Amino acid sequence: MTQSGTHAKASVWNGGHSPFKVSYGKMMMWFFLLTDALTFSGLLASMGASRFMHDVWPDPNHVFHSVPFFENWNAPLVFVSFMTFVLIVSSVTMVLAVHAGHCNDRKGVIKWMLWTVIGGVVFLACQAWEWTHLNHLGAWWGSHPSLEATPVESFKGYFNFTKPLVEETLANNPEMALSATHEFFNYFFTITGFHGLHVTTGVILNIIVLLNVAFGTYERRGHYEMVEKVGLYWHFVDLVWVFVFTFYYLL
Amino acid sequence: MAKHYSEQELLHLYEGDQSTLYSGALAHHHDINDPESKAKVRKIWRITLLLAIVTIFEVAVGLWLFKISPDVSKVAVHIGIIFYFVVLTIIKAYYIVKVFMHLGDETRMFGKFVLTPLILIVWLAVVLLTDATFHLGINETFAHTVESILGNHKP
Repeated sequence: MTQSGTHAKASVWNGGHSPFKVSYGKMMMWFFLLTDALTFSGLLASMGASRFMHDVWPDPNHVFHSVPFFENWNAPLVFVSFMTFVLIVSSVTMVLAVHAGHCNDRKGVIKWMLWTVIGGVVFLACQAWEWTHLNHLGAWWGSHPSLEATPVESFKGYFNFTKPLVEETLANNPEMALSATHEFFNYFFTITGFHGLHVTTGVILNIIVLLNVAFGTYERRGHYEMVEKVGLYWHFVDLVWVFVFTFYYLL
Repeated sequence: MAKHYSEQELLHLYEGDQSTLYSGALAHHHDINDPESKAKVRKIWRITLLLAIVTIFEVAVGLWLFKISPDVSKVAVHIGIIFYFVVLTIIKAYYIVKVFMHLGDETRMFGKFVLTPLILIVWLAVVLLTDATFHLGINETFAHTVESILGNHKP
């Protein structure tokens, strides 16, 4: 199998070695995440294309400015920053669980995975609140279909009048602003919905793996690679949110 | 890889349960409380602090921009804002992938293997955004042409 030490420089592709030194399961998780990254970037890039096709676009600071229990506050970015913070922290607890797994520390894995699950559930609860809130304001998939159904007054609050072209467009070409609002919410619910679906899946997978850890399945197997694999998935979910946060809420 | 395994045993593992081979199960284990492990945990918290600081910078500048409403009709200002947020986002993504997802601990070749196809995303974004800008231009020009012929009488 391996050549003697004097030939250590021989190509790893000549056989007898594993060039990537990664197990099948972990490599396939990486490939799945790669394809998923392409899917998400497809969604985000087409949102960008739609935005570039309109003179004006709703300002996230004017759309998302509410906080639970203080719905009359004008506090842009506050709630979504909290959501981002929760997801990043849950990613940290996940990497600590993976580390505890490397050390075969079962109690550590259980503790940190439990925190990760809690973080995921808190994030989902926040998202559920945000969706419900926007739905009460009249925003949903396919909302703002025509000026007859939703006159300019119903959506002009989503725009930032200090930005160029906004005032002119809303006065002279309200169809453009209507179409922008329509597309904005279609993409918002599609992208955050698809991401939320990933978070939900991640929470379910984390719970399954957590139960396996608690039952000692991985201790008997001798390693905690399964924790690493769901960890990769969970970090990816966090990674996607980093991009959604920038492209939906900041820009 | 652990040195206390004979080549024959390793060969057997290559053909059997590979996850045992690569999961670190064969490597020398360190205790969760030994210095090496503690150094790794410290690194994780250091990266956490970094991610938190970058996020705070993003949010703070976002709020500041909201407050002062900069003139984004100036191309340099607009590009500058986009550049600032995209760069910070990429910094965060880099550390999440390298440290949290441990891609930095895999072989360099595997890292390249996973990351190279992401070039497609740059291509996709450039194509879609350029095309959309062009499309907006056509619509505007067309609308202006119609208006110049018909006046401001929309059918």
